[in-house]
Amino acid sequence: MGNMNKLAAVAQIKWLCMSQNTAVVIGPFMVIGMVWGFKILYSSFGPDGKLLPVMMAMLLNLGVTMNICTNGFLMVGTAIAEEKEKHTLRVLMTSSITGMQYFIGSILYPFVFTVVINFAILWVSGIDMSQVSVPVFFLVSVIASLISCVIGMIVGICASTQMNANLIGYPLMIVFMMVPILGNMSEGLRRISGFLFTGVVTQMTDCFANGMEYKIEALDIAVLFGELIISMLVFLVMYRKNGYEKD
Amino acid sequence: MEQNVLLQLSHISKRYKTELALKDINMELHPGEILGFLGPSGAGKTTTIKIITGQLRQTSGEAKILGTDSANIDASIYERIGVVSDNSGIYEKMTVWQNLNMFAKIWRVPRTRVEEVLRQVDLSEHSKKQAGKLSKGQKQRLVLARAVLHKPRILFLDEPTSGLDPTTAVEIHKMLLDLKEEGMAIFLTTHNMEEATKLCDNVALLYQGEIVEFGSPQELCLKYNQDKRYQILLDDRKEIILEQTPENIRKIAEWMEKDQVQCIHSCEPTLESVFLQVTGKTLNAW
Ligand SMILES: Nc1ncnc2c1ncn2[C@@H]1O[C@H](COP(=O)(O)OP(=O)(O)OP(=O)(O)O)[C@@H](O)[C@H]1O
Ligand SMILES: [Mg+2]
Repeated sequence: MGNMNKLAAVAQIKWLCMSQNTAVVIGPFMVIGMVWGFKILYSSFGPDGKLLPVMMAMLLNLGVTMNICTNGFLMVGTAIAEEKEKHTLRVLMTSSITGMQYFIGSILYPFVFTVVINFAILWVSGIDMSQVSVPVFFLVSVIASLISCVIGMIVGICASTQMNANLIGYPLMIVFMMVPILGNMSEGLRRISGFLFTGVVTQMTDCFANGMEYKIEALDIAVLFGELIISMLVFLVMYRKNGYEKD
Repeated sequence: MEQNVLLQLSHISKRYKTELALKDINMELHPGEILGFLGPSGAGKTTTIKIITGQLRQTSGEAKILGTDSANIDASIYERIGVVSDNSGIYEKMTVWQNLNMFAKIWRVPRTRVEEVLRQVDLSEHSKKQAGKLSKGQKQRLVLARAVLHKPRILFLDEPTSGLDPTTAVEIHKMLLDLKEEGMAIFLTTHNMEEATKLCDNVALLYQGEIVEFGSPQELCLKYNQDKRYQILLDDRKEIILEQTPENIRKIAEWMEKDQVQCIHSCEPTLESVFLQVTGKTLNAW
C-alpha cells in the first residue's frame, strides 16, 4: 500500500494525543491494579490462599469487560471528540487523510492495547493457566475489542465535545458492562446478556474461572460477529451522512 | 481549460435550507496571483472556500480545481493544495516540531523542508515548545507553516489575520508575498480592506452572496474616483475637503503660494468607500 505513511501518521498522532492524556494512560493501570488488589484482598477467603472460583469469575469478568468498554467506548470516542473540539479533525481531513485511514489510525493502538491488557489481567488474576484456552480467549478478546472500538468511533461521530462523548459513552458502558455482571442475579438480565458481546466474554471467563471446558457456541459466534457487523454498518451509515463532522 | 488557470468557478450557487448564501459566483485564479474575497460578515466567504476545497457541496454550478471538477476530487487533491480555515487548530499538547513533523509524514516531506518552513515563519527557536503555549500570532504562523509544508500549488486562507495584532498581521502579509513570489497562487478571504488593498492582485467584493465588483484594488478605486477631491490642512489647523473645480484649484494655488498648507492629500476612494458606493453599506457593519 502506497499510503501506509498516512495511516502511520494518523496512528502516531492519536498515540501522542492519548499518551498525553493522564486519564487515558491511568485507566488500564487502574483496571490491572483493581484486579490485583481484589486478588490480594479475597485470596484469604479461599483454600490455601487461592481465590474461590466464584471470586475469580467476578474478578475476571469485571476486569476484562471494564478494560474492553473503557478503552473502546471512551478512549476512542473522546479522542475524536477532542479533535473536533480543538479543530484538528478538519485539518487532517483537508490534508489528504481519507475516512478509512482516519478510522484505522484511530482504533489501531486502543485495539492493540485492549487485547494486550486483557492478557495482563488474566496473568495478574493468578488464574491457573491450564484452565484457560488461550486461542479462544485471544479470539474473543480480539473481536470484542474491535466491536468496542467501532462503537467508540460511533460515539466520536455523534459527540461534538469530550464532555459530550462521555455523556454518550458512559451509559453505553454501563449497559454493556453491568448487564453481564448483574446477569448472575436475574434470569431476565442473564438472557439479555447472552445477546451482548460483553455477555459472551463473561460466559467465557466464568467457565475458565470455574475450571470448566469452554465451548464457544454458534449463538456466541453469531452475537460476536453480528455485533461487529452491525456496529460497522451503523458507523458507515453515519459516516456517509455527515462524515466525521457535521457541517 | 487553459494551462495556467488553477481554479475556475462558474455559476456557483449555494443554498442552505431556505437561505441563498451564494449566487452565481464566477472567477479564475492563476499561478502567482493573490485573489481576495472581500466582504462583510455573512457575505459567504467561508462558504465559498469550503465549496472550492471540497468540504461542502455547491447547490449548482461548476468548480474546477487544478484541472479536476470538484465533484470528482478525492482526498489526494489535498496533496496539491493547502487549506487554512477560519478555525484551523493545532495539536496543543505536541511540540511545534511534532505538529509539523506529523504532516511532513503525511505528505512525505523531508526533514529539511520542515526546518526551512520553521525558519520562514520564524519559529525555529520555539520548535521544542509545546504548541499550546505559543502566542496567538505564533500559533497562526504555525498553522500557515503547516499549510505550505508540501509546497501546494494553491493556498486557501480564510481570514488569515483576523484577531491578530497589526505587527503580526504585517509578518503574515510578508510571508504571503514571499509565497506568491515562489509562484504559489493564494485565495484569501478578509473583511479588512487595507489587507485586501495591500496584498491582492485582484479583489472580488462579495455582498450577500454576490460578487458585486471585481478587479485590482487600484482599478476599482480609480473606477469609483470620479469626483476628485483634496483634503487640505492649513496652518491655522483648519481641515477642509475641496472638490476639483477651477475655483477650488485657484484657492489651493493661492494657499500654496502663501505657504499656508501643512498637508494636502488627494482623496482617492479606498476599497471601503468603493464598497459603500456599490452596496450602500459599510464593510464592517455587523
Ligand atoms: N451550515 C450552515 N447552515 C445554514 N446557514 C449557513 C451555514 N453556514 C453558513 N450559513 C449562512 O450562510 C451565510 C454565509 O456564511 P459564511 O460563513 O460563508 O459567511 P462569511 O462571509 O464567512 O462571514 P464571516 O466574515 O463572519 O466569517 C450566512 O448568512 C450564514 O448564516
Ligand atoms: Mg467566514
